[in-house]
Amino acid sequence: MGTPVLEVNRLTVHLKKRKNIFKVIDDLSFEVYPGEILGLVGESGAGKSITGSAIIGLIEPPLFISSGEISLHSKIIDHHTQKLRGTEISMVFQDPLMSLNPLRRVGDQLVETIMTHIKMSKSDAIERAKQLLAEVGIDPARFNAYPHTFSGGMRQRVVIALALAPEPSLIIADEPTTALDVSVQAQILRLLKTLCSQRGTAIILITHDMGVIAQTADRVAVLYAGRLAEVGRTYKILHAPKHPYTKGLVAATPKIDASSVAQKLYQIPGSIPSLDQIPTGCAFHPRCAQAVAKCQQARPPLLSGEAACWLLDGNEGAI
Amino acid sequence: MSYVNAHQITRHFDISDPWIVRKIMGREKNVLTAVKAVSFAIPKGQTYALVGESGSGKSTIAQMVAGLLRPSSGTITINGHDFCDPHLSVQDRLAMRRWVQMVFQSPYASLNPRWKIRDILREPVVAFGLLEDRSAQDKRVVELLEQVGLSPKDGEKYPHEFSGGQRQRISIARAIASQPELIICDEPTSALDVSVQAQVLNLLKDLQRQFSLTYLFISHDLAVISTMANRIGVLQAGELVEEADASVLFTSPQHEYTKLLLDAAPNMKMEAPS
Repeated sequence: MGTPVLEVNRLTVHLKKRKNIFKVIDDLSFEVYPGEILGLVGESGAGKSITGSAIIGLIEPPLFISSGEISLHSKIIDHHTQKLRGTEISMVFQDPLMSLNPLRRVGDQLVETIMTHIKMSKSDAIERAKQLLAEVGIDPARFNAYPHTFSGGMRQRVVIALALAPEPSLIIADEPTTALDVSVQAQILRLLKTLCSQRGTAIILITHDMGVIAQTADRVAVLYAGRLAEVGRTYKILHAPKHPYTKGLVAATPKIDASSVAQKLYQIPGSIPSLDQIPTGCAFHPRCAQAVAKCQQARPPLLSGEAACWLLDGNEGAI
Repeated sequence: MSYVNAHQITRHFDISDPWIVRKIMGREKNVLTAVKAVSFAIPKGQTYALVGESGSGKSTIAQMVAGLLRPSSGTITINGHDFCDPHLSVQDRLAMRRWVQMVFQSPYASLNPRWKIRDILREPVVAFGLLEDRSAQDKRVVELLEQVGLSPKDGEKYPHEFSGGQRQRISIARAIASQPELIICDEPTSALDVSVQAQVLNLLKDLQRQFSLTYLFISHDLAVISTMANRIGVLQAGELVEEADASVLFTSPQHEYTKLLLDAAPNMKMEAPS
């Protein structure tokens, strides 16, 4: 797979609230390779978006990175994210209406982005912007249109064009299709996938939707309570998950072909712990049917590089 | 005779400019037809699902069935009564309100943040005059909380103290408080996480069995619908383009639009890597 574009090494993020300090991201490590789509899945509050913000350097008080390092092309980027932000790493947010300036023409916004990051004349930048619009499937004749005249899917296309403009090596897409209809969602995901494989751009796709992951991602990292529960190739995660939480998530997702009205869905008992009540040992043990004594005492490492679960340890017996 | 009968319902919305603007600028009236001649029937104790993309008229139909909007033409009868019938007696109208309840999409917007849960759940009981005695009302609130899997203590809390899934349980408890027969679920799990969604869908199924409830279930998510619905109507731009039993619709969709929706739906099925 070559050298990774991005390496996140033992990242820990804390949240300071009055006199209390909570760990939001706990010792998280993963890497992203060129041209690959890494899916970051987890439920609300699992720390998906904060991980994205940490990578692009948008962590602001009361959040702060307390330890760990993030490196891009094997260079640690902790102290000069400002220069890299938008140039080497760019971001696509959930709501396309909020990430575009409603008062400025779409073309102007593209030209501004291009000229900020790449040295070129205005006329070249306009040419480049039109070319980008065509690439994301928007008629370049709409160069002078305002964002409100576009539909949700088209706006998200513009946002993707903005993200691609500086030719970044990594795009962080934070729930890029959650606000869109299913048919539009499929188009946008396909667009992201083709554009990135053409350019060799890596994507971190943050989502809570296992279906989106199955359609798009090459590899998946599953987060639970700010910790990495499992990481691996998409097919493996969806069809032979190792961590009990991943198993639960996959089983709880409604499936079109397999389900019937008489059947009940599988449900994971309990709910995600709040930040001040993260259990000792494995954070998932109170909800895990297979938990053993060791799960309460010590936090499991990522065993065999795949899943953080003591049950994979051999000594504790097979699952 | 089905429990709910919608016959050729149509709804227009007037989205014209103000009168003065029309006169000065010489513009015509502008009427949007949100729902066009839609008919369906729901037998008692069954779930009928409406699926479609944004703007297809799903929620407009829900509001018309709930009696919150009047159809421009066509009739909807619930247990033989019509909300729009001018001869409907006050008692019957009140009874219809009691039969039909709703569960909304956002559990954050649909609970009054200044009310304790106990007051939220007591409101329908008091409003329909089901129980006069205060202590009997309190007992009913506790019973409702237990039915949706919350603890009796939770009655003393405010909505902000609960997670999204718990709030949706409270919305469901409120909906069943008046002992309704039809519950309209308008995207009840779209705002929830997968594991919480499974819990809420299972709760809805349990309650349906327990109280033989009839559901009108609205969602854009075909996977969710396939686990809930007996019969499904596919809406496109206000028109019912296909209607079939769940087992038939997913195995042999007839209309192009249904096929497109099924293709686009995120699916966990994957081909094994070579």
